[in-house]
Amino acid sequence: MALYVLKRLLAAIPTLLLVAASVFFLMRLIPGDPALLVLGDAATPEAIADLRASMGLDRTLPVQFALWLSQLLGGDLGFSITSGEAVGPLILDRFGVTAAIVLAAVAIAVLLAVPAGMLAAWKQGSWGDIAAVSLATLLLSIPSFWLGLILLLVFGLKLGWVPVVGYVTFAENPWAALHYILLPIATLALVEIGVLIRMARASTIEVLRLDYIAHARAKGVPESRVLLRHAFPNAFAPTLTLVGLVLGNLLGGIAVIETVFTLPGLGRLLVDAIFARDYPVIQGVMLFIALVYVSVNLAVDLLYPVFDPRVAAE
Amino acid sequence: MMRLRLNLVIGGTLMGAVLALAVLALAWTPYDPTRTNLRRRLRPPSADYWLGTDEFGRDVASRLMAGAVTSLGVAAATVLVALAIGIAIGLASGFLRGWVDRVLGAVNDTLLAFPGILLALGLLAVIGPSRSGIVLALGLAYAPTVARVVRGSVLSIREREFVEASRALGNSEAYTLLRHVLPHTAAPVTVLATSLFGWVILSESALSFLGLGVPPPAATWGNMLASARPFMQEAPLLSIAPGALIAICLLGANLLGDALRDLLDPRDGA
Amino acid sequence: MKFRTALAALATACALAAPAAAQDLLRIRMNADIRSTDPGVNRDANTDGIAWHIVEGLVALRDDATVAQMLAERVDVSPDGLTYTFPLRAGVRFHNGQALTSADVAFAMQRYMRRETNWRCRADLDSAATRLTAVETPDDRTVVMRLEKPSALFLTILARPDCGQAGIWHRDSLNADGSWRAPIGTGPFRLGEWRRGQFVELTRFADYAALPGEPTGLAGNKTPLVERVRFTIIPDEAASRAALIAGNIDILPDARSRDLPDLRARPGFSVHSAPSMDLQTVLMQTRDPLLQDVRMRRAIALALDVPELVRAVSEGGSRPSRSPIPPGSAFNTPAMLEVPPRDLAQARRLAQEAGYRGQKLRIITTRRYEAFYEIAVVVQDMLKEAGIESELEVLEWATQLDRYSRGDYQMMAFGFSARLDPSLSFEMFTGPKATQPRKAWDNPAVQAMLDQTMAEGDPARRRSLFEAMQARLMEEVPIIALYSSTTHGVTPRHVQGYRSWAVDAPRAWGVRIVR
Repeated sequence: MALYVLKRLLAAIPTLLLVAASVFFLMRLIPGDPALLVLGDAATPEAIADLRASMGLDRTLPVQFALWLSQLLGGDLGFSITSGEAVGPLILDRFGVTAAIVLAAVAIAVLLAVPAGMLAAWKQGSWGDIAAVSLATLLLSIPSFWLGLILLLVFGLKLGWVPVVGYVTFAENPWAALHYILLPIATLALVEIGVLIRMARASTIEVLRLDYIAHARAKGVPESRVLLRHAFPNAFAPTLTLVGLVLGNLLGGIAVIETVFTLPGLGRLLVDAIFARDYPVIQGVMLFIALVYVSVNLAVDLLYPVFDPRVAAE
Repeated sequence: MMRLRLNLVIGGTLMGAVLALAVLALAWTPYDPTRTNLRRRLRPPSADYWLGTDEFGRDVASRLMAGAVTSLGVAAATVLVALAIGIAIGLASGFLRGWVDRVLGAVNDTLLAFPGILLALGLLAVIGPSRSGIVLALGLAYAPTVARVVRGSVLSIREREFVEASRALGNSEAYTLLRHVLPHTAAPVTVLATSLFGWVILSESALSFLGLGVPPPAATWGNMLASARPFMQEAPLLSIAPGALIAICLLGANLLGDALRDLLDPRDGA
Repeated sequence: MKFRTALAALATACALAAPAAAQDLLRIRMNADIRSTDPGVNRDANTDGIAWHIVEGLVALRDDATVAQMLAERVDVSPDGLTYTFPLRAGVRFHNGQALTSADVAFAMQRYMRRETNWRCRADLDSAATRLTAVETPDDRTVVMRLEKPSALFLTILARPDCGQAGIWHRDSLNADGSWRAPIGTGPFRLGEWRRGQFVELTRFADYAALPGEPTGLAGNKTPLVERVRFTIIPDEAASRAALIAGNIDILPDARSRDLPDLRARPGFSVHSAPSMDLQTVLMQTRDPLLQDVRMRRAIALALDVPELVRAVSEGGSRPSRSPIPPGSAFNTPAMLEVPPRDLAQARRLAQEAGYRGQKLRIITTRRYEAFYEIAVVVQDMLKEAGIESELEVLEWATQLDRYSRGDYQMMAFGFSARLDPSLSFEMFTGPKATQPRKAWDNPAVQAMLDQTMAEGDPARRRSLFEAMQARLMEEVPIIALYSSTTHGVTPRHVQGYRSWAVDAPRAWGVRIVR
């Protein structure tokens, strides 16, 4: 088991290296100079050259890459060009915000959508099924950032129930913090509910068509037992894989939600860093996201046998 | 069967309506969608301006119509780019297999390790925000998905008897590939293309919302939403209208996609 | 000497008649975190705004951007303009209780002038126009600085906020290895806590040696009247306004002009407006095949209804001005405030003569700064009315700045940050394109006039030189100056003594809380 995990992690290294290299070199193709951005319109060529040197940007690209890579192997992601903060702690700090929202939203979505999708599959073709699928399709079709804006408009501006913008960490004031992240969580959860209902429904339908379900029914096993013992557990495993996928996608799309709700999360950090040409931060965040993506997929694969008796038996 | 019909009818109607709006906008809009008038900024809806005016005094209804042209046009072009690249890669790696498949597969997996919008974000930063930039970035971002689907169906087709037969008849590999293998990928690709259309509309509006999309003053639903944000309190309609149109368009694409899946690929979902 | 300062401090305290209550906390909005606490080194506008509460330089700027004494008792300039003597004010103490001496000034100046320090203004004091050759300390209370040749800019450079006012700090501000630790200055506030991403808190310096009189700019009387000042970081504009209304902040130093009608209508809030010294412009590339014809550039200028444009973009908050020298400057003259009227017929005629045949001009702009974007949109619209077609190229700010610095544009909506000396207001866009492609105006004759203003000490003669340059600018139109933006600070009733000024960032001295 431990060996398997290790092997998987080792197998991810080339991917991560490729990510690191492509991000590093691609970013430097983009027009725009971090030194120029710091100095602004009053920059003299001499001042720009001095600042570039102090940022380490005066060396050749391969040298810069080698330096960054060797630092990276020592666990050091370097320092932000714009704020001077250490990139590693910065990422972890911002990731806390993002993770809190994404995990809460996915948990809520899973708890609501998976049972709904399974029940819809069981009563396939009923009005309940049609209602669930329609709701799912509708939710799927609403852009998350627009939904966020509308929720802000209604609950923030019109009703005044939650603060419109800002963020307080849980450490400071858990009650206030909850107010700030309520709407982002609701927004993400609603969108993901749409995705997950459809996925759970589709995989349950697949399972229900399998012979052993028909067998069980023919043997006179009570329907509730067929579902709870045979159908749903088997349908849950493929859904789980998709939850992993959803989690990864959420990390990508989170920048938009964080923009709508002005949250200091990882996505916003990345977008701001791109705008500021803050190379160390961009490289760090992209690498971190790739790492999270790989880890989530690994975790899902490891959990798979737990939920899928067939794989476990092998 | 009822669901299929319902999906087809509702999806078709919604897409048809948006398409009609875009076609109409090509010929006529109530006002020039980029024409500013600073004396009538942020007007509420009226007989003259059906949906009011935005922060530059431009007619919102006209901009929504022009936005339909941009958004649909960009989406269509992007889907074509993604299909062209994805099908080429998918065919090559599925049919040739061997080291070609392994290399393309590794690259594909790396690309798939990034959520599409993130990949597009990075690419756009390099290419620079412009209409063609978006098409290219999103096209490249979604090509791996297409490639994976095409490769999958090629793998299942290439061992079938008629492919063997074509080879046995002395047809060249390229001929076999194009004449016998490619057509059989049509069904899954059509289904995918429909969903892709929806995703691209969504991604394009999200990128525009972040300030990396089709550059203003050209109207797109995404950048209309982005510029409406500061005026949410004074002019909520400015935020509501473009988002509603995106949602309608997506709903149409999703329903049509479901209907097509049921029609062409009845094994799945149903 | 010490007695006199104490007396002066006492007099001000009596005049204001409100001793600081022990628990006073003044909360001010800041739109982003500061970059460091090292004055003038790793900096931006917010960083400068914190630094000027903590450290002071020998001289400081007044409201109208002229230079006043601060840590120096006065400034004696030798007749040849090469030697500046700064007798230090007595009774000035650092936050650690040590008295200020000339050795401290020399120590700080030496660090500023070292290349490794990366002081923003090192190059300015080592340039053809201004070259600092020596800093000497003939005695404990006197600093002498020597220049290679006379410079009208020298004192302004020392006083500039973006240079950290060449702030003098105690040597214990550095770590043993010479790196920066934290500022120990002489300013009215000392650094309290800096919690990254959240706030910077300053505390009152009880032994602050205030100058008598009124506060002006970063000079004059800077007595701290509140015990603590907290600069709270709130990036979002709408959130800041909400925070002000909800009573979570006491000063909103930079309200958006579009929020003003609403804020003015609310009882209990006052708006403090002051013209800033930045400059919003449209740049034109004089090497462009079409725009190299001065008639074309004039046509474009004539096609613009500048007052209408400025009214629309600034929501009526700023006055139009075609001069790079901002209206708030002591060097702005009535002639510079003249705005030629729009003339569409003449614009069409000139464009025709210049060979304009409906080509599309490209105007670069960005959405990062709403004003740039709005200017570009309105300009495009106004040009169209004169039959001049154009299209916007909306770039990311980093890309626009890159294009600006390479001179790679046809037209560009651009804003210059505040230049506090009139020579610099012209210098920011004047220069040889061969070596400085970002410069819009490349004219050797004008360059000579500019050099003259930099060496000229007499304000009246400088003023007439600037008027002559302004006349040339209106003829050649390499840039179209539009306006300087206006800073609107908003405070609730319980905050007294706050004033906005030429630089965006706020000043917390002289402000008190009355509940």
